[in-house]
Amino acid sequence: MKRFTVILLVFIFSVAIPSLRGQDGPDAPKEPAQKELRDDSPADLPNYDDDDATLEPRNESKDPGNGSPDEPENYDDEERGAARTAPKRDAQSMKEGTTSSPFSQSQFVPDISFVLDASYNHRDRDNEIYKTQLRPGFIQSMSGEAEHEHVAPNAVMRGFNFNYAELTLYSVVDPYFDLFAAIELTTAKVLIEEAYFCTTSLPFGFQLKTGKFLSSFGRINEQHAHNWDFYDAPLVYEAFFGGDLNEVGVRATWVAPLDFYLMIGAEALQGANAASFGATGFADHNETMRVRDSDDPNLGVGYIKTSFDNGDLTVYMGASGAYGRSRINHGVDQAGVAGTAIAAHSHVLGADLTLKYQFDSKRYLALQTEYLYRFMDGAYYAKNETDIVEEYALVKRQSGLYAQLVGKFAMRWRAGIRYDLLAVNDIKLDGIKESLPESLPRYSAMVDFNATEFSRFRLQYNYDHSMYVPRDGSFASRPNHEVVLQVNITIGAHGAHAF
Amino acid sequence: MKRTVLIPLAVAMIASVAAPLRAERLKVVTTYPYIASIVEQIAKDTVRVDALARGDYDPHTIVPKPSFIAKLRKAHLLIINGAQLEIGWLPPLLKQANNASVNPGTRGFLDLSGHVTLIDVPKSVSRAQGDVHPDGNPHYYIDPHVIPRLARAICTKLSEVDSRNAAMYKKNYDEFAARWKAKRASWDAKLRRLKAAKVIQYHKNMDYLLIRYGLVRMGTVEPLPGIPPTSKHIAELEKIFESNTIRFILQDVYNADDSSRHLSKKFGVKMVKVPHDVGAVREAEGIFSLFDEMVRRLTQ
Repeated sequence: MKRFTVILLVFIFSVAIPSLRGQDGPDAPKEPAQKELRDDSPADLPNYDDDDATLEPRNESKDPGNGSPDEPENYDDEERGAARTAPKRDAQSMKEGTTSSPFSQSQFVPDISFVLDASYNHRDRDNEIYKTQLRPGFIQSMSGEAEHEHVAPNAVMRGFNFNYAELTLYSVVDPYFDLFAAIELTTAKVLIEEAYFCTTSLPFGFQLKTGKFLSSFGRINEQHAHNWDFYDAPLVYEAFFGGDLNEVGVRATWVAPLDFYLMIGAEALQGANAASFGATGFADHNETMRVRDSDDPNLGVGYIKTSFDNGDLTVYMGASGAYGRSRINHGVDQAGVAGTAIAAHSHVLGADLTLKYQFDSKRYLALQTEYLYRFMDGAYYAKNETDIVEEYALVKRQSGLYAQLVGKFAMRWRAGIRYDLLAVNDIKLDGIKESLPESLPRYSAMVDFNATEFSRFRLQYNYDHSMYVPRDGSFASRPNHEVVLQVNITIGAHGAHAF
Repeated sequence: MKRTVLIPLAVAMIASVAAPLRAERLKVVTTYPYIASIVEQIAKDTVRVDALARGDYDPHTIVPKPSFIAKLRKAHLLIINGAQLEIGWLPPLLKQANNASVNPGTRGFLDLSGHVTLIDVPKSVSRAQGDVHPDGNPHYYIDPHVIPRLARAICTKLSEVDSRNAAMYKKNYDEFAARWKAKRASWDAKLRRLKAAKVIQYHKNMDYLLIRYGLVRMGTVEPLPGIPPTSKHIAELEKIFESNTIRFILQDVYNADDSSRHLSKKFGVKMVKVPHDVGAVREAEGIFSLFDEMVRRLTQ
C-alpha cells in the first residue's frame, strides 16, 4: 500500500511538473506580480451593438450549447476596431497550438490541492501523565485493567505538532464518473484518507459512490478535519468512531424532487472501524477461546437529511443509523498481557440539528448539535490473573452529544464555543452494572482569523473534564486545561465551501 | 416498522421517476438574480425561474444552503455567470444535487461568460495577487451593451431545451432587445457625460461600465481583490486623492464601507453605493431598474 502511494505521488508530480512548465512556456515573459493601482489606459470592450438586430436564422442554427461564443464574427464589424484584442489572442494561441506537443496531456491534470495543518499545544499535564489518562468505558478501557498503548486523541503531545498534510486530487473521469482522492501525509506515514469515484449521470436523482470514503453518518463525520469549526473532533465521535467513520464500501444517495431538501442514503461498508465495529476475529494465545471473523461486508449505514429556509434562517436536520458486528481486540491474543476483547452486535444511532442565521453577506451565527447513542450486545473477554480468558455477557448502552455555537462576526473573524458530553455510560457484564463515571464533559472556546480562504489561524481553549486515571480499582477524575494555536494552510485548487 | 418507512419511500421514488413524464413548466435555475430577470424577460410565465444567490450579497462568497440543492435537483436548465465567479460556492451544490441534466457540458447548462469577451485576463496567476480570476474579470454584465448579447444566448438556449416555445422566446427577445435599445440610448446619453471622470472603486466590479463610458479608474479601496483595506494602502490612495480630482468613490453594498466613507469625508468626494445586481438595493427590482438605478445614482 505504501509503495503504491509513493508510485502514485511520483506519477502525479511527473505529470504535474512538466505540464505546469509547458503551460507557462520557457519563453513566456515572467512578469513580476505588480499591484495595479492606477489604470488610465482604458482597455477596449467589444461592441455588442450588432446584437440589437433581431434574431436571425444564423443565431438559431448552430449554437453547440457548450457555452462557446456562437458568432465570433459579431465582433468584426464595428466602428472603432474594438475587437483588436480578441483576434490577437486567437492568433497567438493558434501559434502556440502549432509549436506545442500534439500529445500534450496538460489540460487533463486533475485539480490538485495541498493542505498543511500544524499546531502548538499546551496542557497543564505532563505528557507522561496525560498518556495514562482515559475516558472509562468509552476510550481505551472496558473496566480499567487494559492499559495498552494509546492512540489519538491522547497522541497529541505538548509543544509543536505537525498534525497532517493532505494532498487532494479531483477530476472528472469520463462522461459517467468523477474521482476524488485525499491522501493524508504525516511525518511517519502515508494514508489514503479518501479515494472514491462517483457517478455523475445517473437519472432520477440517484448517485453511487464507491471506494474509501468518510461515511455521511451524522453531520460532522463527512467533513475533513480542516473544515471543522474546532481543532478537534467532538468527544462523542472520538469515543464511538475513534474520530470518524471512514470505511471502504459503496454509498447510494437519492435526492427527492421536492421544494425543500430531502436526501436519503444507504451505505454498505467493510466495517473496520476500531472503536465500534471490526470484522477480524481473534483467539487467545493458546487457542482456548476463538471468535470467528464476521461476515463481510460488516457494516450498514443509513440516513435521512432534510433542510429548509425560513427567511435568513436555514434549518438542517438529519437522522442516521449504523448497524454492524464488532470484533474489538485489545491484546487478548497476547500472552502475559491483561488483554480484553469484545465480540458483539452494535448499533449507533444519531440525530443532528443545525440552525444557521445569516445576518448579511459576511456574518452569520450557527448552532450545531448532534446526539449519538450506541448499543452493543455480545460478549466481553478478559484475562484473569492466571492468563486465562474469561467470557462475560456484555450489554453496553452509551450516549454522547455536542452542541456548538459559532459566529462569523467579521469578514475574517469567527468565534465559537462548544460543549461536549459523554452522557450515559451503562455497561453490564453478566447483568451486573459496572461502576463507571457518567457525564464526562469538555468545554471548548475558539477564535479564528482567516486571512484569506487559504490561510487560517486558530486559538482554542479546552477544559477537558472527561479524563480519568485508574485508582484503587476505580477511577479518579483528572481534568486538563489545554490551549492550542493551530495553523491551516491550503494551496492549489479552490475548495468550495459546503453548507 | 421497516415497512412503514419503506412503502412511502418507494412511493416517493416512483413518483419522482414518473414526474418528468407529465408535462410541466420548464424549471430554470440561475446563480444570480440578474440572470433570472433576463430569463423572465425572454420566457415570461412559460418557465419557472429561481435565482440561488441573493442580489445584496457578495457574489464571490455566496453562502451555500441545502435549499439550493433542492432547486438544482429539479432544474431543467442551469444558467451561470461563469468566469469563476461561482467557483467558491456552486460546485459542491451541483455535485450533491444528483441532477445529471444540468451538469457542465450537458444541454441543460449555460455559462454566459462564454458569450462575451472578458477583460483583464491575467498573464500569470498567483494568489499573491489576492482573489484573482484566471479567466478575466467576471463582472462583465455591468455594461448595458452586453445585456442583449446575454439575452440572446439565453433565448437560444431556451429554444434548444424547449423547442415547442421557440417562436415565443424569439418574439419576446425581439421585444426585449427593442425596449433595451431605447432605454440604453437614454443611459448612454447620461453616462457619456461622465467621460474622463476619475473614480476609485472598492473592488474592480464596475470596470466594464467604466471602460464603456470612458471613466478613468484610479484605483481600488481594497489593496488586492478580496483583501480588506489596510492603512498603508489607504495612505497610498490618499496621495492619489491629493494629486487628482476624483469624482466618485464607488462602493458595493456588501463590503464594509468604513474606508470609503473615511476617504469620502476627508477629501469631500462623493461615495456612491452602486447596485451590482438585481436586489442589491430596493430600487433594483429587475434588469431594467437595475441599470436605471445604477445610472441614477451615478448621475444625480
